Amino acid sequence: MTVSTDRDLIVRARRGERDAFGELVTRYQTGVFNVCYRLLHERGEAEDLAQETFMRAYDRLHTFDLEREFGPWIRRVAANLCLNHLESQKVTAPLDEERDADESPRPEKQVEVQERSEQIRKALLSLPLHYRVIVELRHYQDLSYDEIATELNIPLSDVKSHLFRARKLLAEKLHAPD
Amino acid sequence: MHLTDDQLNEYLDNESSERAQIEAHLASCDECAARLSALQTLFAEIESLPELELTHDIAARLITARSLSVKLPPSLTLTVTLQAISALIAILIAAPYASGLLTHYSPDLSVSSWMNIMIGLQSNFVMWFQSFQTFRLPEIPTEVLTLPKELTPEMIAIGVFSIFFVWVTGNWWLLRKRPNSPV
Repeated sequence: MTVSTDRDLIVRARRGERDAFGELVTRYQTGVFNVCYRLLHERGEAEDLAQETFMRAYDRLHTFDLEREFGPWIRRVAANLCLNHLESQKVTAPLDEERDADESPRPEKQVEVQERSEQIRKALLSLPLHYRVIVELRHYQDLSYDEIATELNIPLSDVKSHLFRARKLLAEKLHAPD
Repeated sequence: MHLTDDQLNEYLDNESSERAQIEAHLASCDECAARLSALQTLFAEIESLPELELTHDIAARLITARSLSVKLPPSLTLTVTLQAISALIAILIAAPYASGLLTHYSPDLSVSSWMNIMIGLQSNFVMWFQSFQTFRLPEIPTEVLTLPKELTPEMIAIGVFSIFFVWVTGNWWLLRKRPNSPV
């Protein structure tokens, strides 16, 4: 059995085939959820925003350029949606205990890795909102400076200054002596 | 003279236009090489975050959601409506002629009941059209405005052309290549 391409699934979804869209969601839901989780660090909220991302995408499928790749596009949609959500909520850097801790199983060998992951997530969460989104787009979505400037509609100089400042803050958080 | 933080960041992001000079400096400056190494470590740490698994399937939740339905933008809805009206008018006009052709070439062929219905509809349409032809606009007490008082063949031709124009433009609108649309 041949595997349908994203393009095929989009074309079928545009004709109203829900299963085709469901297959697209299955392919990208984990990636989209992780974008939301990195930006929100709250599992329930991240899952809701991930679902909202796909609903928005479904509404806009007829305008999607089939020459583009669906994966990077949907992850950028998720980042923008989280940015708008956080801006509308006026969320300031929350206290660590208000957000999720990683609750996945913790065999002895993984404890150290999981603790470090949690430190990184908390350090990311402590960043100002626009810094956090730029780090997401640069480090996890691999966008260039120009692409980030276009995506967020900000000057290139702001992209650079925010990104470099964000890294400096992260380094201070992650490498500070205990 | 050491490299700036901006230079090191741009170098690691592959956004620097002075890579050769930076590499030459790094080769001879331990301090800048150490700063670059620290920045590389930070990049690796940031990108080392594992992907978490979802606790439930969004796809299953979405495809059963009532809110998930195909939504056309208003412009497309209008286009499709206009095309449907145009198509209905065209069918009403063409049906009796198609029926005539059928009976002309196949006299033994009985016209089906739906065809009779279409002929009836067409007759009504012709009556409506004739009454529309004799329709007179109310008198406007001015000599500047000279609106036509009855439909002329030219006006009918313009009407037919308008339907054709809506049809072709509508199809172009539906099938055109669209620019990227950020959400």
